[in-house]
Amino acid sequence: MQLDWLVQPLLTQLNTGVLVLDAAHNIVYFNQFIARRADIQLSDVSGRLVYDIFADAPKAWLQRKIDGVLALQSPAFSSWEQRQYIIKLPHLRPVSSGSQHMAQNCSMLPFKAPNSAEQFVCLLIEDATDAYVYQQQLQHSMAQLELANRTDGLTGVFNRRHWQHELGQEIQRAKRYQHPLSLLLFDLDKFKQLNDQYGHQGGDAVLIELSGIIAALLRDTDVLGRYGGEEFGVILPETDMAGALLVANRICAAAAGHQMLFNGHYINATVSIGVSSFSGQTIDELIQQSDIALYNAKRQGRNQAVAWQQQPETYLKKVK
Amino acid sequence: MTELRFTEEQRDCLQELINVAMGLASDKLARYLNTFVHLQVPAIRLVDTEQLPEHFASRYEQQSVTMISLGFFGDQGLRGETIMLYQLANVDVIAKLLGYSNDDSSEAEMLTDISSVLTTTFLNGLAEQLENSFSYAAPRILSSRDQHFADKLASTAEQWQLALQVDIRYQLTDYSFNCDMILLIPGEAMMRLRLILDQFLASF
Repeated sequence: MQLDWLVQPLLTQLNTGVLVLDAAHNIVYFNQFIARRADIQLSDVSGRLVYDIFADAPKAWLQRKIDGVLALQSPAFSSWEQRQYIIKLPHLRPVSSGSQHMAQNCSMLPFKAPNSAEQFVCLLIEDATDAYVYQQQLQHSMAQLELANRTDGLTGVFNRRHWQHELGQEIQRAKRYQHPLSLLLFDLDKFKQLNDQYGHQGGDAVLIELSGIIAALLRDTDVLGRYGGEEFGVILPETDMAGALLVANRICAAAAGHQMLFNGHYINATVSIGVSSFSGQTIDELIQQSDIALYNAKRQGRNQAVAWQQQPETYLKKVK
Repeated sequence: MTELRFTEEQRDCLQELINVAMGLASDKLARYLNTFVHLQVPAIRLVDTEQLPEHFASRYEQQSVTMISLGFFGDQGLRGETIMLYQLANVDVIAKLLGYSNDDSSEAEMLTDISSVLTTTFLNGLAEQLENSFSYAAPRILSSRDQHFADKLASTAEQWQLALQVDIRYQLTDYSFNCDMILLIPGEAMMRLRLILDQFLASF
């Protein structure tokens, strides 16, 4: 059965771009897929250099690829994942695509004319816009998930797990480069009373507003996280005890000086802060020291920052 | 279970065909890439796919490795997959080799480019030796920095019965780079390959 008649209609109907170049990179043929999308006629551009017709194509790169295919007589490929498109063509996905150009997979195949030594390269161009769009959406979702995974749902600051991970990293860094590092743990004073008086929604509102105010006081490199309940932590890289106490006092003053409006009531909330500095402790030891200092701040009347000090009894134990 | 091993004669025959194919590829590549490029005749070993990940994990210990896969199909049921392994430290050398300028292409693109050049040139030569011809799928990056490549290699190699390990080493005037190529062939294709090798052996 003679099937030659099939070739033309197939090439015309094919949902893949077919673009054939001669050894000098001149256009020899393209099918309807390309003609319609690029809005060009073969009779107008036949014999012209491909780079003149598709002026946006990455010329140096494409030249090298095509020369490689000709020299080695082996195929070359290009994926949308590495290069979104080779020639700018519109795609048929009018909605939901972030890009107006067709994402393309391209195979470049060597051909030799049967009765002469003449060489050709055929570019097969497939529309990969769907895959491109799905990957964009996937990446967007992944980024959102990653963010959610390290954020405290209520206050928007880092959650405990991520914050503690960051603390571990900062301790490593401080140890390696012998840089100062300090840690603040702070707690809302009489939070239970706030909750009792204004309800949990009132308490939540205070947590949200205060963490925003405190975040605004910090440097970009400082790391604020919610440690649990009404307790928060701040990692202060490149900061010694004196610097950390300055920051802590600033936080105390800002919290005490801020009035919050909730359901027609003005709420005043204060914080107590425990401060410790890194000098070779483990992460748990450092947190514990800030925690002890925080306890002392509460005991000494709240609304203040207290630095951790070695307890006399443990000090004595060590001397012995 | 079908015996998938090669006889000594089959193995020698295959080795010889691969040597010739690699010789052809070397010649083409050296001329294409640069006259100063010297491609050493590669070392070839038939290996058990189960041992592959372990072997390469110890070989590339403490180095970042990129794996690039390329599938191929031929007539008579011959098919398989090649995996190229690169150390990421070699990327700049590869860029020079291919004539890329720095801003021109991404690392991933350079690696898929060199991979398809290396593997298709070699496989075309091999197909010629086997009186066959291959068509290819586009190369794909299987893993890079963030993933442990040995795990990935283990899950890839699991699907195949035969692995051919080919060491490729380039030497340029001022620097050198080397990479590994693994040729993976599934069981049915291997039986086909054995038949073809037997025909070869019978004709000598």
